[in-house]
Amino acid sequence: MSKPMIEVAQLHKSFGVHEILKGIDLTVHQGEIVVIIGPSGSGKSTLLRCLNCLELPSSGTVKVEGTSFSDESGRYNEKRVARLRTEIGMVFQGFNLFPMMTAIQNVMAAQIKIRKKSAEEAKKTAEKYLTKVGLAERMNHYPNQLSGGQKQRVAIARALAMEPNIMLFDEATSALDPELVGEVLKVIRELADEGMTMVLVTHEMRFAEEVGDRIIFMDKGVIVEEGKPSDIFNAPKHQRTKLFINQVLHPESEKV
Amino acid sequence: MDILNHLDFATAFRELSPELGQGLLIALEATLGGFLLAVILSVLIAVGRLSNSKIIRGILVVILEIVRGTPLLVQLVYMFYVAPLLISLVVQFMIPGYQFQLNPLLAGILGLGINYGCYLSEVVRASILSIDKGQTEAALALGYTHRQALWSIVIPQATRQAIPVFGNYLIMMIKDTSLLAFITVNELLLRTQAYASQTFLTIESYTILAIAYLILSLPLSQVVRLLEKRLSTHV
Repeated sequence: MSKPMIEVAQLHKSFGVHEILKGIDLTVHQGEIVVIIGPSGSGKSTLLRCLNCLELPSSGTVKVEGTSFSDESGRYNEKRVARLRTEIGMVFQGFNLFPMMTAIQNVMAAQIKIRKKSAEEAKKTAEKYLTKVGLAERMNHYPNQLSGGQKQRVAIARALAMEPNIMLFDEATSALDPELVGEVLKVIRELADEGMTMVLVTHEMRFAEEVGDRIIFMDKGVIVEEGKPSDIFNAPKHQRTKLFINQVLHPESEKV
Repeated sequence: MDILNHLDFATAFRELSPELGQGLLIALEATLGGFLLAVILSVLIAVGRLSNSKIIRGILVVILEIVRGTPLLVQLVYMFYVAPLLISLVVQFMIPGYQFQLNPLLAGILGLGINYGCYLSEVVRASILSIDKGQTEAALALGYTHRQALWSIVIPQATRQAIPVFGNYLIMMIKDTSLLAFITVNELLLRTQAYASQTFLTIESYTILAIAYLILSLPLSQVVRLLEKRLSTHV
């Protein structure tokens, strides 16, 4: 097996009295594409957000390339967390582009501020990644002048420009009009082909089946089942997985 | 009706306008200084009120209540007449015989700046809170610390949003500089008072003064309205 990029051990996360994650163990290896599926409220987004420490674990550890987010005394030092986050790119459902910056400025900002690159260097990198996501023509547009699909591609370019080793996608296509989903999936698929380590939360089952090396089915804060896409989608072992997959693939059928 | 026959706007206008011109320069100086101070204070107070430290938040709330619970005129008078005395008293412990003097215009700038800074801080705070949490999260995910995300992503958006409201406060401040007459700043009102009491052209003098303020503030309101439109484009 290639080297582990993310190691999650006994991860618990509670919001108040609600325990959202109830002991998650997960290892993601280099170049692996892990897709997390599950009903809403299953904790899949929370798990993803724990992977780059946007949510602090209530207990348990998350390691990135062997380094834990918490320091030796178990505390979450902000500088340490921020430094580790630069190794992980994240793409959000709501794009979260910076509205006062043009597309290229969005992609340049963190390179200059965090990576301490010069403006020219940052610009070069930004151009490279905006071209990669097919937006060379739209570099000087503001977010509100772009379509949803274009915004999401800028967001992907912005994450890639930090040259992370891992990419996280949190329902990256859920807020898009159906006709714009394809252009974003295409970019993600290209990244997959290039061997980027990725963890995706998605409702696009066909896409999950196609790009995923491993599918993780979550429900009620635990990993119910995981395995190869062909196994999970065609021969799920657990009843809950069966029900869920049946429901998403045939939404018109009655609930059992 | 006798008064009406003796109205002499021509003379009043001729003699008073150069005075008003001089006074206007001082009023603008006070506004510029006062507003700059207010803007800086407002952002600092707003950020302080959103900080995790209970002590900082507590101190700021007390200051805000004092400033908002007392009239601006009283604050100006306090700043000019009382604050220097208090400072002198404290410093006299170390340097006997020390007398601290505050220039009236500077006292005015400080008074206006602190007062407006407190009111504006509420505007800035509301704007900061109105910025989508996703903005901070996106910045954090890129490796920003909370502080960096606040200052380089959230606050630029918040202040941008607040600019039209700032504009309205700026116009209010220009008008409020007339209060500086009470702490001997030789601005428009004080000069008009002096002129009116010398010449007894009371109606003429104060009418001209009121019109002068109108001429000043009406175009500025238009500018603010324009700004509001311009800034709403990329939000």
